[in-house]
Amino acid sequence: MKQQDIEDLRQLIEFLKSHGVSEFDVDRGDLKIRLKFNPQQGAATGLSDLARLLQTAPQSVAQAAATQAGAGTGAAAAEPAANPEAGLHMVKSPIVGTFYGSPSPGAAPFVTPGDHVEKGQVIGIIEAMKLMNEIESDVAGEVLKCLVSNGQAIEFGQPLYSIRPA
Amino acid sequence: MFRKVLVANRGEIALRVLNACRELGIRTVAVYSEADRNSLHVRFADEAICIGPPRASDSYLNVPAVISAAEIADVEAIHPGYGLLSENANFAEVCRASNIKFIGPPPEVTRLMGEKEKARQAMKKAKVPILPGSDGILTTAEEAREWATKVGYPVILKAKAGGGGRGMRIVRDAEDLPNLFHAAFTEAANAFGNGELYMEKFIEQPRHIEFQVLADEHGNVASLFERECSIQRRHQKLIEEAPSLQVTPKMRDEVGRTLCHCMKEIGYQNAGTVEFLMDASHHLYFIEMNTRIQVEHPVTEAITGVDLVKAQLRIAAGERLDAILPAKLEMRGHAIECRINAEHPQKFTPSAGKITAFNVPGGNGIRVDTALYAEGVIPPYYDSLIAKLIAHGVDRAEAMAKMERALNQFIVQGIDTSISLHEAIFQDAGFRAGDFDTGYMERFLAARAEAEKQTA
Repeated sequence: MKQQDIEDLRQLIEFLKSHGVSEFDVDRGDLKIRLKFNPQQGAATGLSDLARLLQTAPQSVAQAAATQAGAGTGAAAAEPAANPEAGLHMVKSPIVGTFYGSPSPGAAPFVTPGDHVEKGQVIGIIEAMKLMNEIESDVAGEVLKCLVSNGQAIEFGQPLYSIRPA
Repeated sequence: MFRKVLVANRGEIALRVLNACRELGIRTVAVYSEADRNSLHVRFADEAICIGPPRASDSYLNVPAVISAAEIADVEAIHPGYGLLSENANFAEVCRASNIKFIGPPPEVTRLMGEKEKARQAMKKAKVPILPGSDGILTTAEEAREWATKVGYPVILKAKAGGGGRGMRIVRDAEDLPNLFHAAFTEAANAFGNGELYMEKFIEQPRHIEFQVLADEHGNVASLFERECSIQRRHQKLIEEAPSLQVTPKMRDEVGRTLCHCMKEIGYQNAGTVEFLMDASHHLYFIEMNTRIQVEHPVTEAITGVDLVKAQLRIAAGERLDAILPAKLEMRGHAIECRINAEHPQKFTPSAGKITAFNVPGGNGIRVDTALYAEGVIPPYYDSLIAKLIAHGVDRAEAMAKMERALNQFIVQGIDTSISLHEAIFQDAGFRAGDFDTGYMERFLAARAEAEKQTA
């Protein structure tokens, strides 16, 4: 193929990809092209056994703590990749540590489901290396659910609260 | 022995450490960035904790995140692997303060070996031969000239604050020195904000020879012989061998003994590698020490039969060397390692992406250390090493024959790899004859470029 043809083909491919075309045929007599684009990432179909096997993560520390504590909302402490219901915002942990829902043991929790929170409002604490880090809500809205339990081990990116933005 | 160990690393070395832990009955904790969620080291650890976003500085190099993960997982020790935090004395100190055992030397020793000038002085004191050079910074070209006369030409001027070859000038004649001094100074000042220079003897066409040491926490030290790592491109090793064809039994014995004495003097603990340059007359000169396990440790494991990572864990758990090593350490055969990188074999451009086919060679005397698999994705955030291919034979000829066979059967599709570059090197007469120095790759690539120009 001539250099110009290759360049044309490259542009054609970019154009098709950006418009979400999945298959394209052209037969110009002297040149015949057939393009087929891979399905989007995340499609479960077509995964090999190996890939599916490898997608089974080991027990995350957070899950281990949740099952041990028998927390009611423990089920929600699944992999951060878990897909929330549409429209809800997840406040995710920016650090690794231990979660506390109140400013001190026995004190009232920062927030309870149903509360309205402002952006920047402190909704929890994560203790890391003996330092208490305040966790702020990154949106304003209504607190729906606390997804973790008091004293639970938290990893980076783990969803802590679900909030319906207002 | 430890109940639980956290591996503060990723990729093939994280898997290597996990393997050693598992074989010793130690529970393992992996840490990972969001980009490594589907990594083998995560998959095969007993527990795994996400510690940050893809960038290494926000995850694997993030000391609070790693320590916090160690605390919530309640581990007793951390193995830092190589690179990343393995030679970070500050990290080792934080581990100590957090009551977590750092698997490596004490922070003070790491710090000592990390400061080039101090390391040289410590070695000199222990009678380890060092590269002759100026005692510190050269303030004027005249001072440089005096030192050069003492040290003997050729010499190399190097930037104190520098690296990556900048602020460096090789001086072969006294009359060139003043100009080169000023050129190096200016370049260093522009590149690093500090133009200060020191001088070292320049070895023409040196070989890179390094010695593996193990020290327990009871004052016992052993040398596990040497490796030759002269096949390098831009200071990155590509091929390593054990033993070196250039080291005689007498040299091996003497250097081994001197190093054991030296390691005792400085209070070294755990695994380490002492690096030397060898000149044309077979003299060795100390250049630096790496206070950690090295990438190329498998070739030493092959010829000695000693599992170095298990030795690290056992030393850190308080065991004595005579319980870990055989009564008489012997070398058996010859081993070669090829570092397979995810890069174009000619252009050396890095190649991130998804692997579509992955056939790993096996067979007698072939070892592959890799954390990749078919449909695995190589993220663009980290180094390009994807696999280490090690061949062990009764002698160098057999090791080379096994390596060639294995390279031929190592199929990776979907990304570029350096496999074909290694195949070409193993066909080169100079390499096969053991005829090389650290300039080998540059000459090899130049010759190849020239040959291509002529056939084009």
